Amino acid sequence: MERSIKQYEMDRVEAARVAARLILASGTTSPRVGGVGECSIHIFDDECDIEDICQEMEEMAEIKKSWSFFKRDAAMLRDADVVLVATSLRCVEDPADINCNLCGKLVCEYLKEEEKLTDDPDVAFRGPLCIFRAANIAYALDGMMSQARNLGIDYGVFWSAGAAAMRMRLLPKNTGFSLAMGISITEKSPFRDIPKRYAEINQRSMNDRMIQRLWPQFRSIYS
Amino acid sequence: MAIKEMSQLIGNGLDRAVELMAVAAHNSFRFKDRNNIKIITVEGEDLEQIAEYCFSLGDMAPLAARDGRHLAQLMKEPCSLMIIGDTRKSEFNYNCGACGYKTCAELNKAEEVESLTANGPSCMFKNLNLGIAANAAASMAHRLGLHCRVFSTLAFSALALEVITGVDIVISISVSVAKKNPYFDRHEFWTKEHWDEIFAKEFPTYNRGFIGAVED
Repeated sequence: MERSIKQYEMDRVEAARVAARLILASGTTSPRVGGVGECSIHIFDDECDIEDICQEMEEMAEIKKSWSFFKRDAAMLRDADVVLVATSLRCVEDPADINCNLCGKLVCEYLKEEEKLTDDPDVAFRGPLCIFRAANIAYALDGMMSQARNLGIDYGVFWSAGAAAMRMRLLPKNTGFSLAMGISITEKSPFRDIPKRYAEINQRSMNDRMIQRLWPQFRSIYS
Repeated sequence: MAIKEMSQLIGNGLDRAVELMAVAAHNSFRFKDRNNIKIITVEGEDLEQIAEYCFSLGDMAPLAARDGRHLAQLMKEPCSLMIIGDTRKSEFNYNCGACGYKTCAELNKAEEVESLTANGPSCMFKNLNLGIAANAAASMAHRLGLHCRVFSTLAFSALALEVITGVDIVISISVSVAKKNPYFDRHEFWTKEHWDEIFAKEFPTYNRGFIGAVED
């Protein structure tokens, strides 16, 4: 009996790993502006790697108030089976040269001359970036989401995790912008129905406090 | 009348399909659940001015000229152009730095730079929301079996011509029910001589056999 449940647990995680690769395939084949390769997608399917990213996110959450939701994101992402990070590799050094003015610099030559933001802790992405190039990441992301939906897999999108992975230098060195998607194969999606104070009150902390902490006391007193 | 002609079926089907694309774009994933994109469709005669404008950009933007010429041809069969737009300022308060300003407040205060293509500087996440909406619409078109291609050039023209107003950043999805897919392998646009000439100009070293040769 117990062994079959364990087998199910292992198969469930394996399914997430296989699905992550199919999601990567869909994200990779989604359109790119002008057909120019720009994005790469990286799979983190080791729970220790995911934990490292979550801890970095929690550290970033302390940096400024507007990033305080990074903690909640980390709590959600800890329940993900696999994390995929999509990157934009050309948006820093290689603007699209179409003078679209999305960045507000009128022409690409001016964008190239513009000084980037300094590498401060409170800067997630060192802009100004070529927004026209980075828009490719939206197509990659929608390709990934579309595949996850087709496969019937729960997903959540987190720019916080993308920024954390970038800060940890887990991504290619040309990366200027990145976004992460967590996928989960569980009966209840960890990315939906998120109550308030989720960073402190979640499945993990409830289990720790209600079961691991109180139950042994109850057991020793009332035995 | 119980019999419907093919042209009528296809015309009605296209109208319906474009509505479904709008629904897909409208309901697509958004960062921070922001949903104030603007969607319009342009069909028939109104497309003509966009095609002409694009084509008139000529040497300044060969890509736009190509797309204008393409649109003029596309209009001969039933087609539709969906244009999706959004404003450029950030309401996310993510303060991520991707736009080049440390905070969203600084971006929103920055002087607006107008141009024919888009008004900048714009928020990265606004652009992502827009791109995701466009991809969702294109994905729906694909599922419905329409021919489809996403164009920035046509959207930029629509913005410049004020076909779509009240937005700063735009993207367009062109769909067609032509007999053959009009969006890929558009060889009819150029003669072999013209193609050879352009290729030789763009990739001059391709036909060289020896790297030390002096070019004339």
